[in-house]
Amino acid sequence: MKNKKRWLALGMAAVMTAGIMTGCGSSSGGSSDSDGGEGSVYYLNFKPEQDPQWQDLAKAYTEETGVEVTVVTAASGEYETTLMSEMGKSGAPTLFQVNGPVGLANWKDYCYDLSDSDVYKELTSEGHALKDGDAAAGIAYVVESYGIIVNTELLGEAGYKTEDIQSFEDLKKVSEDISSRSDELGFTAFTSAGMDGSSDWRFKTHLANLPIHFEYVDGGSAEAIEGTYLDNYREIWDLYINNSTCEPSELAAKTGDDSRNEFLNKEAVFFQNGSWEYSNLTEDGTFTDDNLAMIPIYFGAGEEAEQGLCTGTENFWCVNKEADEADIQATLDFMNWCVTSELGTKTMGEDMGFVIPFKKAIESSNLFVKQDAEMTADGKVPVAWDFSTIPSEEWKNGVGSALTAYAADQTDDNWKAVESAFVDGWAEEYALAHQE
Amino acid sequence: MEKALKRYAPIFVLPTFAAFVIGFIWPFVQGLYLSFCKFTTVDNASWVGISNYIAAIKDASFTSSFKFTVFFAVVSILSINIIAFMLATLLTQKLKGTNVFRTVFFMPNLIGGIVLGYIWQILINCLLSIIGQPILALNSTAGYWGLIILMCWQQIGYMMIIYIAGLQNVSDDLIEAAAIDGAGGWDVLWRIKIPMVMSSITICVFLTLTNSFKLFDQNLALTGGEPSHSTEMIALNIYQTFYARSGMQWKGYGQAKAVIFCVIVILISLIQLNATRSKEVQQ
Amino acid sequence: MKEKKSISNTIWTIVLAIAAVLWMYPIFMILMNSVKKESAISTAAAFSLPGADSFAGLANYVDAIASKGFLSSLGFSFLITVTSVIAILLFCSMCAWYVTRVNSIISKMLYYMFVFSMVVPFQMVMFTLSQTADRLKLNTPYNIWIIYLGFGAGLAVFMFCGFVKSIPVEVEEAAMIDGCNPLQTFFLIDLHILKPTMISVGILEAMWVWNDYLLPTLVLDIKKYKTIPMLIQYFRGSYGKVEMGPMMACIMLTVIPIIIVYLAGQKYIIKGVAAGAVKG
Repeated sequence: MKNKKRWLALGMAAVMTAGIMTGCGSSSGGSSDSDGGEGSVYYLNFKPEQDPQWQDLAKAYTEETGVEVTVVTAASGEYETTLMSEMGKSGAPTLFQVNGPVGLANWKDYCYDLSDSDVYKELTSEGHALKDGDAAAGIAYVVESYGIIVNTELLGEAGYKTEDIQSFEDLKKVSEDISSRSDELGFTAFTSAGMDGSSDWRFKTHLANLPIHFEYVDGGSAEAIEGTYLDNYREIWDLYINNSTCEPSELAAKTGDDSRNEFLNKEAVFFQNGSWEYSNLTEDGTFTDDNLAMIPIYFGAGEEAEQGLCTGTENFWCVNKEADEADIQATLDFMNWCVTSELGTKTMGEDMGFVIPFKKAIESSNLFVKQDAEMTADGKVPVAWDFSTIPSEEWKNGVGSALTAYAADQTDDNWKAVESAFVDGWAEEYALAHQE
Repeated sequence: MEKALKRYAPIFVLPTFAAFVIGFIWPFVQGLYLSFCKFTTVDNASWVGISNYIAAIKDASFTSSFKFTVFFAVVSILSINIIAFMLATLLTQKLKGTNVFRTVFFMPNLIGGIVLGYIWQILINCLLSIIGQPILALNSTAGYWGLIILMCWQQIGYMMIIYIAGLQNVSDDLIEAAAIDGAGGWDVLWRIKIPMVMSSITICVFLTLTNSFKLFDQNLALTGGEPSHSTEMIALNIYQTFYARSGMQWKGYGQAKAVIFCVIVILISLIQLNATRSKEVQQ
Repeated sequence: MKEKKSISNTIWTIVLAIAAVLWMYPIFMILMNSVKKESAISTAAAFSLPGADSFAGLANYVDAIASKGFLSSLGFSFLITVTSVIAILLFCSMCAWYVTRVNSIISKMLYYMFVFSMVVPFQMVMFTLSQTADRLKLNTPYNIWIIYLGFGAGLAVFMFCGFVKSIPVEVEEAAMIDGCNPLQTFFLIDLHILKPTMISVGILEAMWVWNDYLLPTLVLDIKKYKTIPMLIQYFRGSYGKVEMGPMMACIMLTVIPIIIVYLAGQKYIIKGVAAGAVKG
């Protein structure tokens, strides 16, 4: 009896130890294991759509150089959680991303200074670096543009050309005309301005960029926003919601997919979104370069004749300062290879559809990107992505909430709530973000 | 028998306890430590003492989400348990199709929380727009009731299974004897069945209590706290504290809030467990 | 008397049947949407049955299976669920039996510790858990069961304790007088009595582990392993574009094994009742 009990206890202990040992044995292959001093790369990727291309690129790099590259993509909306958890582990990511100054506040203790690296020198402009004091904590790796995407064929049916829209007044005239004739035309002006999580960022962040931007142009700063251009914000928001495929009160439930599907089903002429939508719109042949265009979001402010698309980035590469020397160097080499080699630039430019702000970037086949380049060459000034200075997600949520409530019931009081969320909310959030 | 058992303690208890220490106790203690720090990852934590707790208590959104959670918990605990018990009683009698019914009522539990939240969001929004009411993102009342309905739909099957297992343990002899003694249906229910399944009731009430307080996925998916955080429950509030603003101090506040939340729910459940445990009948 | 009973029974059956149909509706919605074409899935059209031009048949299912390591995630999910559930059922029932039968301060403390672990919000321990698992290398599908045992012990011990209390001590004492040691008593007697409970707890734990998203994401070595719930999340792209079709199909595919397990377990519970639970 006693023997049996002892054997049983030993047996259980053995099973548990075996469990732990299996872990020990099979965990090697992580990035911080020595590969004969060569170092390895572990990239935590932000964009799920490009995961297959990153996997292929990583394999190609390993074949060419023998350096191990592991790419893991975090699920949409889970990047911060995944990064926090992975950084606490022994095989932490060596390459990750932040979304701008606000994201940097979380991670600046982990960012390696990139100013002396080769990849930094490949940037087309220092403006594409994310600075922490004098150090370059991050470098932009994809530049994107957004504006109002136009179905030029439908626009033509309504009797207009994109050249007819050169200012907010023009935009207003055209959209109101189209929506008043929507029964006869079979389509209306704008797709739904959905305010659910998958779509509201277009309005509480991207559209909100415009009033913020013009205040900065006037000399304002991120410390305090005064709301000088909120009347224009109201005008364009009213335009979007009152000339669209659905009632303003239904917006809260409309998704990004709904909006895109309405555009694909030719129910509306205008669709506010960015260059990343190009492949979504053209992949099944519904749209081609001939019936698509992107025009600036005219705001009724600034020099509209010289206004270009909203171009900038929310994606900055950062290298993990806490990783091994060898791994850091391997990572820098990998980054440099991605933006200078033929395979790297082709994959990033064509397959991933990125515009990379580096000297050896190839020309893009993305129509919207080409249009942005044309406009810039023409002398138009792109609107910078100043929304990266928004103090917190909480601010965006507050404005989004207020916009939705206003859309359901377009009273002046409800707009006052939007203004308050915009201006007072900014002051509050800014204070909270800087309290240390 | 106790003496004999005590010698075997290591075999019976050790594996579970060892895993428990690894999987829970140690992370919990570390989490507790982190609630007194500000940090980005576990390694770069720096001590700040109780300032996290002070900030958490002063946070108005924390108190309001707490109140909302309590309202939610009370209603859902009552409705889930009463309905689940009724269903269990019905389905332990020889009705036709009992098996099918049991499977059907349990089905909702098979699907992950977040997905269900999205499906119900679509459903409820559709219903609301048909009757001309503002949709979820603008409607706190609908948000509240939506959460209750979703919670009930998901949990009733789960609790029903536990009640069924408990009811099956009530010996038929007892019920027959009571019937012979002239007890009617109600009496059998109140005087025999319920006391006998008290241990199931303890379990189910405790589970619904903790599940209601900890509810997160469905809250996020169904309302996301809208409009303006009015339907935000505690777990969502803690989550927002972690991620809605950047900076090392917010993670610390989040941890502190989580600890406070823990302590409060432990107290409530202690009270509940004592109350129902004392009514349990050992066969 | 008998007639009254059968009329009220019939009424109840009908009421339950209606309730059951309504109950199933949301799941039916997922099934319907999983066979629609991508562009036909939207909030407005969620309720409509797939029409001739929006019916995509099994295309979504094929997409889902062909994509991104579906089969290997299925395998890992399966492995993790099976090992964790077996571990939990075995070890926790033993622990619960001990805690209920032995009345010492230690066992009381243990009980309350297990119970209160159920109250802790996951966010509080998730990062520390992920780091602990990493340090001990318990981050593969082959040994993550230890983490699940530790984390899931609370619920299982709690439930087993409740049911063990309803097992009469006399039977066990009789066995021990006959010369069985506690281990034999437990395995030969209690385990059989606890079978319905085991099935119920087993199903509940299996549900949790199979559908769990956050714990594997944080604990598993994500460079190498993925489970099904993690895979489902990949259908959400970064600009809010959700590949609804394959996602719905994936959800249906993950729900089906669970339904099968549940139906199989169902029969067992009925058997247990028919064979007769231990009476006083």
